Amino acid sequence: MISFLQPLALLALAAAALPTLLHLLGRRLPPVVVFPAVRYLTATEREHSSRLRLRNLLLLVLRTLALALLVLAAARPVAQLSGGGSHPPTAVALIVDNSLSSRAVVDGALTLSVLRAAGRSVLLRLAPEDRLWIVLADGVPRRLTRLEAQAVLDSLRPTPLRLDLTAAVRAAAAAIAADPLPLTEVVLLSDLQASALSPQEPLDMRVLALEPPRAPLNRWIDSAWSQPRVWSPAGAVVAALGGAGDGHATTVRLAVGANDVSRAVAGAGEQVVLSGNVAARGWATAVVQLERDEFRADDQRFVALNVVPPAKTMATEGAGRFVADALAVLEQGGRVSPGDAVVLSDELGPTTTIVFPPSDPVLVGALNRSLADRGISWRFGQLLEGEWAITGAVGAAGVAAVFRRHRLLGDSRAIALAGGDAWLVREGNVVLVGSRMEVGWTDLPVSAPFVPFIDFLVNQVAARESWVLSATPAEVVELPAGTTALSRAGESFAASTGRMAAPLVPGVYFLTAAGGDTIGALELNYDVRESRLAAADVGLLRARLASDVQIMAARDLARELFSAARRVNLVGLCLVLALACVVLEFAVASSRGAGRALR
Amino acid sequence: MTNSTSQRLDLLDPYTVAQLGGIELVARGVVEGFLAGLHRSPFRGFSVEFAEHRPYQPGDELRYLDWKMLARSDRLFVKQYEEETNLRAMIVFDASASMDWSGSQDRLTKLEYSKRLVAALSLITLRQRDATGLIIFDEVVRDAVRARARSGHWWTLLLAIDRLVPGGGTAAEPALRMVTDLLRRRGLVILVSDLLLDRALVLRTLQYLRHRGHQVMVFHVMDPAELKLGGPAEARFRDPETGASVTARPRELRQVYESTVRRTVAAWRAACRGGGIDYHHVLTTLPFGYVLRRATARRTRLG
Repeated sequence: MISFLQPLALLALAAAALPTLLHLLGRRLPPVVVFPAVRYLTATEREHSSRLRLRNLLLLVLRTLALALLVLAAARPVAQLSGGGSHPPTAVALIVDNSLSSRAVVDGALTLSVLRAAGRSVLLRLAPEDRLWIVLADGVPRRLTRLEAQAVLDSLRPTPLRLDLTAAVRAAAAAIAADPLPLTEVVLLSDLQASALSPQEPLDMRVLALEPPRAPLNRWIDSAWSQPRVWSPAGAVVAALGGAGDGHATTVRLAVGANDVSRAVAGAGEQVVLSGNVAARGWATAVVQLERDEFRADDQRFVALNVVPPAKTMATEGAGRFVADALAVLEQGGRVSPGDAVVLSDELGPTTTIVFPPSDPVLVGALNRSLADRGISWRFGQLLEGEWAITGAVGAAGVAAVFRRHRLLGDSRAIALAGGDAWLVREGNVVLVGSRMEVGWTDLPVSAPFVPFIDFLVNQVAARESWVLSATPAEVVELPAGTTALSRAGESFAASTGRMAAPLVPGVYFLTAAGGDTIGALELNYDVRESRLAAADVGLLRARLASDVQIMAARDLARELFSAARRVNLVGLCLVLALACVVLEFAVASSRGAGRALR
Repeated sequence: MTNSTSQRLDLLDPYTVAQLGGIELVARGVVEGFLAGLHRSPFRGFSVEFAEHRPYQPGDELRYLDWKMLARSDRLFVKQYEEETNLRAMIVFDASASMDWSGSQDRLTKLEYSKRLVAALSLITLRQRDATGLIIFDEVVRDAVRARARSGHWWTLLLAIDRLVPGGGTAAEPALRMVTDLLRRRGLVILVSDLLLDRALVLRTLQYLRHRGHQVMVFHVMDPAELKLGGPAEARFRDPETGASVTARPRELRQVYESTVRRTVAAWRAACRGGGIDYHHVLTTLPFGYVLRRATARRTRLG
């Protein structure tokens, strides 16, 4: 049986009619030549007309055949040889996508179970001489026997991991390429998510892909974060919903611990704010949940909450009028309470102090000496004038401009910069700000973000420094200094400062330091790309995976497997025949009719 | 007494020669050149009975020189004797439409070439005092001039040649049959034609003439373009006489066509030779002197 890898090229077969058309067009109105010896010509024609007709017909057939063969070669014909069930020894790479998305339920069946069944069919086709590699969601090729692979498939469960199909195919191709067996096959059993492909040049090879199950309708929580980061004790969680816009809204709930604290209704693509008030102080785990759908793994998302009482705060006269007014507003809103736990001033106090530069430059020297006496390495440096933007983790204050500032001199990391210099730094319980909060120094006091900026200074920078990290399962994260363990729901995992792979189970993991203090949290949620279940079309697969990706049903896949070994490429044959036709045509055309026969 | 080779019109390209003047002038020049090239005169037939003197012509045999006359007048004369039986020649000239064709602008048509050839032949025969006549034909006899040996008869022949207009088809038998009426005694019949006619019929008639005791000479005139088929990639070749046409691709047929023509010429030659007929295949690019020399080579009367 002959098939074509580029069947569209067969459309060019119409070109095979060209010689006939040219012949017919060429027959139109030949010029008239007066020639007295027509009787000789007539005699010649009479004697050789049949031979000439045969010759012309032969030329026409040869030219048509040459064109047709060239077109056939362009269509890349292959002949399937019947070889029964046997095949030459082949290195087979079997990619089984048991990533998170394989948990999706389609028509009552788990996607992974469909992939597993197809995998078993593939294993049944393997001969003892074949070599098998299996690539699972971790992307690592493993050389297995058929029995071992069978056991792996039987025990296979969906993982919380994301599988990059492009990387998996490349890893599989590399594994079988290193095998001494000359014949190879790559079989891809996956839901073929478009979001699982990364932009890379396709490999020049054949990949047999299982036709993916129909993607179910899915909604998910694209992202969720605490607003503000520290609840005192009220706050909100903002959640963005993803999914197909089917026009139906769904209920979004916010639970802290075992209690639902807020509920809202939203549709795909919308953002919802879930407000709450938590009486218990300290770190808590908040969960944003959606109504369950066919893919449940992404119906909830974990958020770390830090609930603390309002900081006891006061501002000295040297901090300026605008700072005092902002504290009054925060006190009315319950964000701070009167006290001296945090002092905002232009001189160094005994407790946690947010220090602004003194209005009189003469006092800067004394302030720097106080900082040195306290063991603080930062100093107020030269007074600069100009216009700079504030960059760094300062929230909305980033829109403000700074016109006058002291260059802060020190070597630890700055929280915010202005003109490339440190502008906001913290060391110990001292926070230094490069500019006074006055109109001549910065336009912050007369802009909307000023009160949130003072709130940020007091509640996050000065009073309660904490880290909240985000990661996906098994992702490598960098833990803050002092971290000794991760704890979640009573379980504790030893950890150390530096890089480590995040756990596999989603949730909020609290970072504890020596002595049991919680210094931050790790929000571990599934990779949101696994929620985008839409399958890639064959064009995208051929652009990202391999030049010859063939998508087929499980039954066809098992049949097509090893067909390359029994397939004969007819391109060369077509080209040789076309060349033979051209040579023959040249020979016949050069034979000058029936002349030779007469000699 | 002799012309240099470069000045001899009989050896020049016919087209070039034709540019020099009319038929009469060309014919005279050709004949003079032709005779000058002969080492002996084509005129045989001297008898013992003295007739008259005539100026020496190149080619005349020296034995007929009148040495006494040379001594007296220092001029060359030959003695001419009365022939007992003068030859009578009849030229049968094909003036059909097919003769009025040339394969190139740099060549004479077959008709124009033949006119000059006929004029030269008639001048030669008349100079040796042979009565010479002319029959012009196409599909019918168009003109006939009785054979005469008068010195001014050549002008009559030239007038007939000069005024002829190429006609339609070709049928030589009526003209050849007319020869039997015009030549009562045995004589020489010269057929000048492209022979694009019924070969069997013509050969039968020529054989008949041979049986009547005539010597027969055939000049088969062809243009070189009739030997080798040329033209566009595909063309409709039309016969100017019959209007019949054949569509052909010269490139495909060239070789077989040449073979056909060669076979046809060979067939004419063989048939003529078998019947005691002198056959001469003449291309219109052949200098007249070559033709005349070849024609007279085996003819006792002509050379």
